[in-house]
Amino acid sequence: MRPLLFLTALTATSFAQTQKQSEFYTIEPIPLPPGEIMEIGSIALMPDDKVAVTTRRGDLWICEGAYGDDLSKVKWTRFAHGLHEPLGMYWKDGSLYLTQRPEFSRLQDSNGDGTADVFETINSDWGINGDYHEYAFGTPPDKNGDVWITLCLTGSGGAASDWRGWTVRITPDGKMIPTCSGIRSPGGIGFNAEGDVFYTDNQGLWNGSSSLKWLKPGSFQGNPTGNKYHKLANLPAPPEPQDKSRVLAEHLKFPDYIPPAVVLPHGKVGQSPTAIEPDLSGGKFGPWAGQVYIGEQTHSQVQRVFLEKVNGIYQGAVFLFLEGFQCGIIPAKLDERGVLFVGGSNRGWASRGNQPFNFDRIKWTGKTPFEILTMSAQPDGFTLTFTEPLDPASAANPASYSMEAWTYILQKGYGSPEVDKATPIIKSASVAADGKSVRLVIEGLVRGHVHHLKAPGVKSASGLTLWHPDAFYTLNEIPK
Amino acid sequence: MIPLRYTLLFCLSLLPTHLRAQDGEQLYGLYCAACHAPDGKGATGGAFPPLAGSEWIHGNPKRSVAIILKGLTGPIEVSGKSYNLEMPPQGDALTDDQIGAILNFVHNAWGNTGQEVKRDLVRVTRAEFESRTTPWTAPELLKLFPLEKQDTALANLTSRVYKGQWNLMPDFNKIQAENVEEEHKGILDTALAAMKEDFGIVWEGDFMAPVDGEHLFILDADDGARLILNGQPVAEVKGLGPMGSGKRISKGKAVLKAGANPVRIEYFQGKGEQGISLGWKLTGAKEWQWVSAQTPKSKPGTPPIPLTPQDGKTVIYRNFIEGSTARGIGFGFPGAVNMVYSADHLAPELMWSGGFIDAGRHWTNRGQGFQPPLADEVVTLTKQPILAPSARFKGYSLDPNGNPTFHIKLDGQLLSDAFAPGPDGTLIRTLTLSGGASVLEIPLGDNPSVTPVKSVSLAPGKPVTVTYHLK
Repeated sequence: MRPLLFLTALTATSFAQTQKQSEFYTIEPIPLPPGEIMEIGSIALMPDDKVAVTTRRGDLWICEGAYGDDLSKVKWTRFAHGLHEPLGMYWKDGSLYLTQRPEFSRLQDSNGDGTADVFETINSDWGINGDYHEYAFGTPPDKNGDVWITLCLTGSGGAASDWRGWTVRITPDGKMIPTCSGIRSPGGIGFNAEGDVFYTDNQGLWNGSSSLKWLKPGSFQGNPTGNKYHKLANLPAPPEPQDKSRVLAEHLKFPDYIPPAVVLPHGKVGQSPTAIEPDLSGGKFGPWAGQVYIGEQTHSQVQRVFLEKVNGIYQGAVFLFLEGFQCGIIPAKLDERGVLFVGGSNRGWASRGNQPFNFDRIKWTGKTPFEILTMSAQPDGFTLTFTEPLDPASAANPASYSMEAWTYILQKGYGSPEVDKATPIIKSASVAADGKSVRLVIEGLVRGHVHHLKAPGVKSASGLTLWHPDAFYTLNEIPK
Repeated sequence: MIPLRYTLLFCLSLLPTHLRAQDGEQLYGLYCAACHAPDGKGATGGAFPPLAGSEWIHGNPKRSVAIILKGLTGPIEVSGKSYNLEMPPQGDALTDDQIGAILNFVHNAWGNTGQEVKRDLVRVTRAEFESRTTPWTAPELLKLFPLEKQDTALANLTSRVYKGQWNLMPDFNKIQAENVEEEHKGILDTALAAMKEDFGIVWEGDFMAPVDGEHLFILDADDGARLILNGQPVAEVKGLGPMGSGKRISKGKAVLKAGANPVRIEYFQGKGEQGISLGWKLTGAKEWQWVSAQTPKSKPGTPPIPLTPQDGKTVIYRNFIEGSTARGIGFGFPGAVNMVYSADHLAPELMWSGGFIDAGRHWTNRGQGFQPPLADEVVTLTKQPILAPSARFKGYSLDPNGNPTFHIKLDGQLLSDAFAPGPDGTLIRTLTLSGGASVLEIPLGDNPSVTPVKSVSLAPGKPVTVTYHLK
């Protein structure tokens, strides 16, 4: 009787203190112009703390007061209408630049009346045929001043218009350079902190799971539907991937087929990834400086991604991060001051939450959650760093961790189940002298697989369990 | 005392996660299976509500936690069947950890795809409803935690759209699909293909049967449709014809295992009206559960969003407009004259008077297809590129009334092409060529009642005005 009583009592006290999103981040809906349907497709930060958004209905609105303490005082001005579904926008030198469905354009207010009167077409060299699927997502300019635009296929099985299934660059003098092929259905495009370009591609044909992909110039991204346009580019087409193969097998046959940098396991880490936004806030949005955030449309979330380059290829880990938005997220923009703006739409597909569209401001409260900060591949395991000092007993205990690994079938059919499952064994866990990182030695790593690390047993020195105990690392390369 | 406490604490934290997962199954067997059955289908042949395939496990996981903590009483509908039983509260018998483990098992067992339940959620939910002393009723729960709309019995649904003209159901396996979509709402809707005629759709996914046993199906379509479950045809509406009259309705039945049953619904549309309705129920149940946007009585359609000029300024609609190209730009001028300019063909292609355009098609759902102007009579001016292939569209500028001037770059020349409404239902076009010496021939189309000339010659520095009479 006595031991049992003790056990019950101790079970209660063994509950670690838990962490809630609201302790770390505030999500504040920004009031929208009354009566307007604001399904937001892109966000641009402007001088004087103004924020511009474009909507599915072709409007461009400018918001004043989006940084203010009292959001009820925001003021909206419609700067332009009649645009064709812009999904990319930035401000530069007095103009707003837009990636619209049919073209890349510059908008100006030449007479200073507060509305656009010049709609200059800079480039429109890609095809559209009226299929709603032919989305075009664009970046701000890269280091060279080029804007990257990724072009969804026609439907998800065809490439009826020129350059569908490609990513192109528009140079500062308005020329289009076809740059990467093998695209299926992008949900967003953007940079990492180093300025390399990535896009998110959605699960479907030739895509076992949604993922974050690196747009290395000249690369093939896996979906052969748009390969007929290599002829237009005077380039040799990549070999057609073998049906029912694996990404790794096809990459080894054809190295320019760049494997997804980070797989976002379908269902476990969202279902429809969208925006890509690097953290250049230098720690003003939490301890994640240099990492990348990804929007998620179906699950209405923001995920966090740690990237590293191994043997010349990007790979890394995705962590669940922010959730509870009232609508699926499409664009995201993080200010250098550490204010994240997100917008969204349910757009005829379902998304979590109660709203058909949203525009939210997210700020860090200044309190650091206990989380895995980074996860780096090692020849025989991984190194984890944490945001807070560790409880050495739990962090050094291999039983505090477990791992599963799997990959997906690369196939012409829609999506893939998780296959080739493996259970790597955590052999040891050593806490570094700084007390904030752990070296895991693991038996049975599988190259090409997603490695799902679970660390529910790890505690911080102050007794917290991890806010998010899961990490999903895509091991394209095992370092030597 | 102190050392013992630490030892036990340490041992508990050592439990690896896969053991905890097994815990959930064991705890379920211990505390829940008596009523809900070890296979989640409801004990004693379904006298108790099933958890396998139940719509109640989807959405906010707090709902499940709340039910376990406080129990449930009175009538409730689960997977299309009514129950009126008492579920005793378990909140005082089970710890937060145990409740979390049980729910994480239930939410992932038997093909279920419920959300993860974190221990913290159980703790928070327990605190939130601490003062409650009575079991929940179903209406109370629905008010706090509404069921997700997309949860029909159709899970993992995808749609494939095919183009073709058929009188009978084709073999879709031999045709290349134009498009594939995930249909997270689990709803069959022909309108999402946004095609009027001569197309087909194949939906595939899992029919989540709530229980083992006989399920009834009712299928109607305009035109043909076929329901295939577990590879077996269950119902078929053959050939061309309307829906809703009752004459073409096909009913079928299938004995299913609880959980996921692969389902395939084939559909084709000829001309005219389109639609599909599919309902199901358990043998003996009263109401059909619809898994289609249409029921036999409803009509499809998007809400109309007609656009009109505002504050005396021209309204612009840049989208896919029937009769022009994908880079068409629509202008609704004050005075009820309208135009579509093609940025592909570098010419005004359509003009009409009256209403401008209905944006409903493109601004709701997924926005597929070309939208015709809001007029019975639309004048087509030209239908092909009117300038040399090297001509480039450089955009447009707007005057203070929102009227456009298009800018076109030619070899060594610039063409400005301005449009503004004139008196009495006219549209005034002003063409200006600058640079170079070449004269440009601009075709205007062959519509003598709208504009008498078929083309104009444009010399640099000498603007030409053309008047279109639209009323």
